[in-house]
Amino acid sequence: MSIVKIAWRNLLRYKRRTALTAALIIIGVLMVIVFGGIGNSFKSEVIESLTSSNLGDFQIHKTGYVGSMDTLPLTMNIPEKAIKTIEATLKNNPEIAAFSERIRFGAMISNYEQTTNVRLTAVDPAQETATCPGIVERVQDGKTGKDALIPQGTILIPQNIAQGMKLKVGSETVIIATNKDGSVNGMMLTVSGITENVQGPQGKDAYINIEDARTILRMESGEISEIAVRVKNFDKLEKTAAAVKAELAKMGAGQNGKQMLELHTWSELSPFSSIANIISLLLLMTRFILLFIVLVSVLNVMTMSVYERIGEIGTIAAIGTSPSKIMGLFLTEGFAMGLLSSIAGAVLGVVTLLVLNAVKLPIRFGNRTYLIAPEIPYTEIALSIAVVLVISLIATLLPAIKAAKMEPVDALRHV
Amino acid sequence: MSIVTLENVTKTYATDTVSVEALKGINLSLDAGAFISFIGPSGSGKSTLLNLMGCLDKPTNGKVTIAGREIGSMDRKTAAQFRGDHIGFIFQSFNLIPVLTVYENVEYPLIMVRRESPEKRKAKVMELLEKVGMADQKDKFPGQLSGGQKQRVAVARALVTEPKLVLADEPTANLDHATAYSVIRLMHEMQEKYSTTFIFATHDPKVVKEAETVFTIEDGLIVSVQHGGEK
Repeated sequence: MSIVKIAWRNLLRYKRRTALTAALIIIGVLMVIVFGGIGNSFKSEVIESLTSSNLGDFQIHKTGYVGSMDTLPLTMNIPEKAIKTIEATLKNNPEIAAFSERIRFGAMISNYEQTTNVRLTAVDPAQETATCPGIVERVQDGKTGKDALIPQGTILIPQNIAQGMKLKVGSETVIIATNKDGSVNGMMLTVSGITENVQGPQGKDAYINIEDARTILRMESGEISEIAVRVKNFDKLEKTAAAVKAELAKMGAGQNGKQMLELHTWSELSPFSSIANIISLLLLMTRFILLFIVLVSVLNVMTMSVYERIGEIGTIAAIGTSPSKIMGLFLTEGFAMGLLSSIAGAVLGVVTLLVLNAVKLPIRFGNRTYLIAPEIPYTEIALSIAVVLVISLIATLLPAIKAAKMEPVDALRHV
Repeated sequence: MSIVTLENVTKTYATDTVSVEALKGINLSLDAGAFISFIGPSGSGKSTLLNLMGCLDKPTNGKVTIAGREIGSMDRKTAAQFRGDHIGFIFQSFNLIPVLTVYENVEYPLIMVRRESPEKRKAKVMELLEKVGMADQKDKFPGQLSGGQKQRVAVARALVTEPKLVLADEPTANLDHATAYSVIRLMHEMQEKYSTTFIFATHDPKVVKEAETVFTIEDGLIVSVQHGGEK
C-alpha cells in the first residue's frame, strides 16, 4: 500500500465526480491536440504552398525594393557585380538548397484583340524549379515537368488572364513593357502553359524566361530584381536567414548610407503570416481555456474532497501521519487525476488526428483547396500533459495545505 | 512508573463572546500498564482530558507529560511523530479509512509512521488480526463489516505500533451489549499481553466495571478516584 494507491482509491471512491472532472480535462486536452494538429497542419500546408510555388523561403533585394514592390521598380535592381558575391555567399552556406535569380516587372499582355496588365516574373527555369518546385504542380494546362517549363519565347500565364483573354496553350501573345530608361519595347511570346492563380486579390502573375526579359527590357548588364532562396531545413530558417544576412551586411553600404541589400523571410513578404499568427493565437487561447478548465475543475473536486474527509484527515493525523504526508496524499490525488485524464485526452486526440489524417480534411483557402492531413503534434501533446500536471498540482495545493494545517482535534469532531 | 502526568492542567475554550473552562486544574499521575476509565456526564471534560493525553491538544495552563515527554512545547510535526510512536487511538465511530481493506487499515500506521519493512509489517498485522479474530476478514473493506468487527479492527490498528498508551473515547457507545463485552474483553486481553496502558472516556458501565481505576470528572475537576478493590 502506497500513497499512490490510497490516492487512486480515493479518486475511485467518488466515481461520478471523478469521471465528470476527468471528462472535462479529457475534452480540454483533446481540443488542444486536435485543434493544434489541424491548425499547425493547415499553416504548414499553406506556408509550404506559398514558399515552394512562389515566394521561396527568403528573398534578397536591393534595400528599399520591398517597400516599393507594388510598382515593381526596375530602378532598384541588384547590380551584376553584387550578384556574384551573393551567389558565392549562398553557395558556401551548407543550409541553402537552391536559389533563383529573377527579374520582376510590370507589362501589358495582348492577344491582338484585348490588352491587360500583367506582373511578370522572369526566371531561369532550372533555378526556379529547384527553388520553387511547387510551380510545376501549379501548371494546370500545358507542358509540365521542370525541363519543359518556360523555354525562351514562351509565357506561362495565370488562369484568370487565360480565361479573360481566351488564351490557350499555343496562343500567340504580345508583351509590351517599359524599361528603366523609359523606352517601350514588345515581344511575341507563345503560351506554354496555364497556372493556378497565386494567392492574392489580383492573381495576374505570369512567368517568362529571364533571357526574354533581358531582351524586352534591353538590359545590357546581368542585373536582377530579386533572389528567391530555398533552405534545406525549414525549421532552421530564421537561423540560416540571419547567417546570410550577416554575410550580406559585409558587402557594405549603398549610396544612401544604408545597407546595400535587404533580406526578408517569407513571413515578412506574405500577408498569410498574419493569418498564421492568428492561428497561433487561437491555439494559445485553447491552451488557456484548457488551463482554466483544469484549474477550476481540479480545485473544485479537491476542495470538496477535503471538506468531505475532514474526519478522516483528523483520524490519520491522530494516528501519526505528518502534515507533509497529508498534503502529499491530496497532491498525489490531484496529480493522478491530471495525469490520467491528460493521457486519456492525448490518446483520444491522437486517435482523432489519425482518423483525420486518413480521411484528409478539405479546407478551401483563397483559390486553392488544401487537403489537411494533420500530423501528430508531439510537442503539443507533451506541452498539454505538462500544463495539465502543473495546473493540477497548483489547483490541489490550496486544498492540500488546508488539509495539512487542520488541527486533528478539530478535524476529529467532524466524524 | 508513571506513563501520564498532569500538573495543574487547565483548558479553556474561548470564542469572541464566550469562554468555557473545560478543565479547571487537573493533577494526576497514571501508572503504565493500567486499565483506567474516566467517567462523568457529557460536557464534564472527559474528552478534553483524553485529547491532552493523546497529544492532540495543548493545555491552556499546566504541564502534561506523556511517556516522559512534556507535550506543551511540541510542534505539529513532532507531535504527529510522537503520537505515531507512543499512542494508539480507538474512537467511538471506529474511524477506519473507508478506501483501505481491514489488512491495509491495520498496516497503515506501520507504513505512514514507522516505515517498517514489508516482511515485518505483514507479520505484525497478521498477528494482531489473528488476536482480534479478524484474519479471515482481512480483504474486506470497512463498509462490509459490522460495528463490532470494525471496532476489533480499530483495536488492532491502535496496537500494531506497540504503543505505550491506548486512548479510547466511548469505544463501546455504538456497539450492542454482547459486542461491547467482546470488545472490552479483547482490549483487556491486549492490555495483559502487551502491557499497554488503556485509558477510556466512557459512560458505559461495562467498561467501568472492567477498569482498575475509575476517575469521575464533573465540571472540569476530578471529584473521585476509585480503585479496583473499592468498586
